[in-house]
Amino acid sequence: MTDSRTLAYINLFAVLGTLPYLCELDSEASALIEGKNITIGISVKDGPEGRIVFKDGKCTVLEGADPCDIKLSFSAPDKFNGMIDGTYTPIPRKGFLKIGFLTKNFIKLTDILTKYLRAEKKDLENKEFFEKSTLLMFHLILSAIAQIGNEDKIGRASASYIVDGTVRMSAGNDIVLSIKSQDHRLTAIHSAPENYTSFMSFDSVETARKLFDGEINAVACIGTGLVRVGGMISQVDNINRILDRVALYLA
Amino acid sequence: MKKIYTYEKSREAFARAEKVIPSGIYGHQGPAEGCYTPVEAFPFFSSRASGSYLWDLDGNRFIDYMCAYGPNVLGYNDPEIDEAAAAQRAIGDCTTLPSTKMIEFAELLVDTVASADWAFFAKNGNDVTTMAVMASRAYTHRKKIVFFKGYYHGVAPWTQKIDYSGVIEEDVMHNIYVNWNDIEGLRRVFDENKGQIAAVISQPYMHGNFMDNELPAEGFWQAVRKLCTDNGTVLVIDDVRAGFRLDIAGSDHYFGFEADLICFCKALANGYNVSALCGKDFLKNTISGMSYTGSYWLSAVPFAAGIACINKMKRINSPKILIEKGTKLKEGLIDAGKKYGFDLHVTGVPSLFYLRIADDPTLMLHQEWIAECVKRGIFFTNHHNHFINASLTDDDIKETVEIADEAFSVVRDRHDK
Repeated sequence: MTDSRTLAYINLFAVLGTLPYLCELDSEASALIEGKNITIGISVKDGPEGRIVFKDGKCTVLEGADPCDIKLSFSAPDKFNGMIDGTYTPIPRKGFLKIGFLTKNFIKLTDILTKYLRAEKKDLENKEFFEKSTLLMFHLILSAIAQIGNEDKIGRASASYIVDGTVRMSAGNDIVLSIKSQDHRLTAIHSAPENYTSFMSFDSVETARKLFDGEINAVACIGTGLVRVGGMISQVDNINRILDRVALYLA
Repeated sequence: MKKIYTYEKSREAFARAEKVIPSGIYGHQGPAEGCYTPVEAFPFFSSRASGSYLWDLDGNRFIDYMCAYGPNVLGYNDPEIDEAAAAQRAIGDCTTLPSTKMIEFAELLVDTVASADWAFFAKNGNDVTTMAVMASRAYTHRKKIVFFKGYYHGVAPWTQKIDYSGVIEEDVMHNIYVNWNDIEGLRRVFDENKGQIAAVISQPYMHGNFMDNELPAEGFWQAVRKLCTDNGTVLVIDDVRAGFRLDIAGSDHYFGFEADLICFCKALANGYNVSALCGKDFLKNTISGMSYTGSYWLSAVPFAAGIACINKMKRINSPKILIEKGTKLKEGLIDAGKKYGFDLHVTGVPSLFYLRIADDPTLMLHQEWIAECVKRGIFFTNHHNHFINASLTDDDIKETVEIADEAFSVVRDRHDK
């Protein structure tokens, strides 16, 4: 029901793609990249190519492995996915002098990310942690929706039904992100859209969290008003179908 | 100004429902699939219905243009149909041996539906569309089925899409999708799948959701018919939604061609639970050899209701009445919209009309207007075609247009400020 190539895209552009937001939200993560000027390129044969840029105290994730300072090449999506789940250790093809960043700072960053994305119940009792964790999950899921809509066979079928436009997705008053559809290709936009053609809003961060954790279903929540949809609802309907597949990949 | 409805009791009932029923109300009659946007504008449960009216739990009366999504064709609780059903109920309904009402009903359908040489009964539209596809495969010994995009043929796995929850790739791997009215596309599909297409299945015209409904282009159906005949493919018309609202002899008859198999449900018995697959003689033996049945499929009460319903529809020429009433409503709604600068599109056959305010491609303006109509007592839905029933009066149409007018004015005021 899932494929390793799509998972590789999710791991690169959604899981590692959440690092920029982690570095904005978490002071420990921010400190780890302070003063660093380094780019890690990731090249997956028959899979995604991207780079993670650390510069001026900020992190960005871009498409294309080059230019980079450290290059990690993988012979197959499974190998890259293995690095993400900790079962495979890659050997850099270039950038040996900067390997310290990779083995120390970068590993530490991903550990912090894991703490938020696979949060312990106890940690979630802290309101600030809960909100940060849910916001990062929102960024992750948004990017994963785009990757699945573009790469996964069934996700592409859903995307093929999505007309051009922008879906506004929000939780409470503070979290507003969006997904753009153009010619059935999806792009995650990690900010509030100026204009949009449809919307899906969760009444609170708590509702969004429950949905992400699989405790509630969006369709069931429409009747109670916890989830609201409007505009070109067929867009939301199909995004929701892709959202169902996010859980399969990120389980 | 009309009274604005509120729905406290509907909400209380929904709170009970969601504890014991998945999503509270599932399917097309629920707030999610029904596209109740914004949800506050809509009631959830009814307390009673009569003629063209529906009352919700809070005592609000609606002129109901969804007609239970089609079954209400003569008016809720039509006395003639209810009497026929009651008379049959008094002598037997679900029994070990079927009643001869079944024969009477089949004879009536064969006499009424132009392309029918026989009739096979079930309960829901999905039962008979599924039977039609199975029969096509059984007759042709082929696997592939052609659909027109925007279709709806029920909820069985073969009718759904690959990304629907619970559907696996193998359920839909023999489905081929062609654009509506694209006869060249269909021709290509036949060329590319020589001797492999069991059936072409289609509604008589495109009445999908989220889009203006589209009638067949000139000569489209005749060309489809010829392609099917030339290629030994069964032509299945899913007349579940449109059936008897266009033509008492079937919607294929309305558009000037003959289906091999035609599926009926909704308007067949004015709300009594029965569906029918009718077809050509050459498929009768195939159907006879298939194992396909259900616990309540031969119950006699819905047959009695169906007989009374068909007879009354024939007697009053209901399709003509429904189209006339629908046309009058359509004109009134369009004029009301124009008064406030709205371009309301009313598409499809008027007895089965689809609404869309075309000024806003996001449909949010349209959803606002529908919400204002519903809150004032006109039961429209946002993105599904609507239904006319024969009990709808000129006064009902007048009241509908008045409410639509007020709703347009509210939306206009809101967006002018």
